Amino acid sequence: MKGRTALLAAGAVFVVALVLPAFISGYGIRILNLALISAIAVIGLNFAFGYAGLITLAQAGFVGCGAYITAILSTTAGLTPWLSIPIAVVGAGLISIVIGLPMLRLKGHYLALATLGFNVSFVIVATNWKSVMGGTDGISGIPPLALPGWPFATDHRYYYVLWLALAVATWCAWRIRNSHIGLAMIAVRDDEIATGAASVGVTRIKLQAFALSALYAGLAGALFAHMVNFVAPDDFALGHSIIYLAMLIIGGEGSILGSIAGAVIVTFMPELMRDLGTAYLIVFGSLMLLILIFLPKGLLSLTAIVGRRLKAPGR
Amino acid sequence: MQQLIQLIVSGLAVGSVYALVGLAFIMVNEATGVVNFATGQMVAIGCFLAVSTSLQMGLPLAPAYALALVAMALFGMIFYAVVFRPLQDRPVVTVIIGTVMIGIVIQNAALMTWGSVPFRPRSPFGRQVIDVFGAALSAHALFVIVVAFLMIALLYFFIYRTDIGARMRAVAQDRDAARLMGIGVDRMFVLTWIIAGLLTGAAGILVGPMWFADVNMGDPIALKAFAAIIIGGFSSVPGAIVGGILVGLAEMLGAAYISSAYKDGLVFLVMILFLLVRPQGIFGERIGQRA
Repeated sequence: MKGRTALLAAGAVFVVALVLPAFISGYGIRILNLALISAIAVIGLNFAFGYAGLITLAQAGFVGCGAYITAILSTTAGLTPWLSIPIAVVGAGLISIVIGLPMLRLKGHYLALATLGFNVSFVIVATNWKSVMGGTDGISGIPPLALPGWPFATDHRYYYVLWLALAVATWCAWRIRNSHIGLAMIAVRDDEIATGAASVGVTRIKLQAFALSALYAGLAGALFAHMVNFVAPDDFALGHSIIYLAMLIIGGEGSILGSIAGAVIVTFMPELMRDLGTAYLIVFGSLMLLILIFLPKGLLSLTAIVGRRLKAPGR
Repeated sequence: MQQLIQLIVSGLAVGSVYALVGLAFIMVNEATGVVNFATGQMVAIGCFLAVSTSLQMGLPLAPAYALALVAMALFGMIFYAVVFRPLQDRPVVTVIIGTVMIGIVIQNAALMTWGSVPFRPRSPFGRQVIDVFGAALSAHALFVIVVAFLMIALLYFFIYRTDIGARMRAVAQDRDAARLMGIGVDRMFVLTWIIAGLLTGAAGILVGPMWFADVNMGDPIALKAFAAIIIGGFSSVPGAIVGGILVGLAEMLGAAYISSAYKDGLVFLVMILFLLVRPQGIFGERIGQRA
């Protein structure tokens, strides 16, 4: 029953989101699009960190894998984005399996440092492998996604593509969460040894969670590449992995809606604080720290607290 | 041959800076269980405090350095009160994100204080070079190596030969038992953060004249220090020293003989290989499984 109301609320949010662009100017819609793309990446991260408890600092690297694969395929190889995007998603997933197989034996901050190493290495390779990845200049001239005679070339049009992608991504995440795979992930996080003793393949579950998060990241990256039509290493640096993790924690780890809320809030935060100028990042960092200290379960826990207050007099 | 000697000396100099930073990281992690991802920004603050005291206030170098170190000790205490206390005993990931956020705050506060134009701190030895077997060695690089090793020796003496050091080790081994023995655990924590401030401050002061003092210098240094302690062994003091020097040498020799573009990639490749093949590092216990 509780799941159904949440589903209804999610549905209502999506309907509002559908009519929203009519009221928003060009720059606002670009930021909104970036928020939707981040939301997809953060829903993915939620599998690895929120459910399976894997601390990964590589999410931006996988977003970069998706973005670069589709960028290379749709420019040099001349493939249509309708093909290059799925290939990019699968490619990011495969890369995550190759690096996940050895790395997922590590735990806690050792895994964090190893995945950090992957993300830093990705940027180093992208910066220096000029012949394929374009170096610091990146890859430009990425074609927009297009139906025959109808390119999604403006941010307003692309918004609906992203909206659809996020809706599908959310629905899939919801189904996975409630399947035995999702439950097994949570079991691994809560008690790895007991889960292993119940003859659930712990390593396999971890790898599935890691690969799922990379698939989502790959989709986010590919969609990003076809929106901005240009990719460069800076957009996938370690700092972005940390931002994704911050989005997830701010929204509420282990919650799909929290992932989306966190992505939207953190993406819009710089816009809300634009008057602060260079002091913005100081306020941003302090705010994040305060949320971590006082609301360890994220901003969604705030609604639960308020809800309890509202109910209290009736008891 | 001359070139090789020069490269080895500059690799040792950079490596001993990484060793100091790695030691600051390990000291904090061992004693308090906190993985401090703002260590790099502390190095940058140390470097810029020395810029302020020597270039902007115009003090002679010796008192300028001393003043900067005192300020860094204070900085360590502030860090303890503002960041460590509230985040103590939280899950690892909360601490990681929390210290990263503080790093962002520090870095941008530094940007507003000192601006984005890099400074060129002067060395006590200027641009003096010393001729050894025909190789022109930078006097500052030799100075860095000597000072770093004096500091490490001092730290060793302090931890293993004094009463307070013994108390710190007791706290690191078992916090509750130490408290039952009447050790002021919180006071030991403050002391740990002061030492971390001094180590990172010294690293910043020493690295300044080798590179530029840039507000973004923290992350690259911290990443190398991470690599160094993984290679050396996460909880091992000799590990941090050997790891730091290996990373410094790999960086300098790799840049000269393999590829200057991929020199950092090389370091992280070695780090990941160590995590996978020998997670306990060169020294130290098996840590890959330890949560």
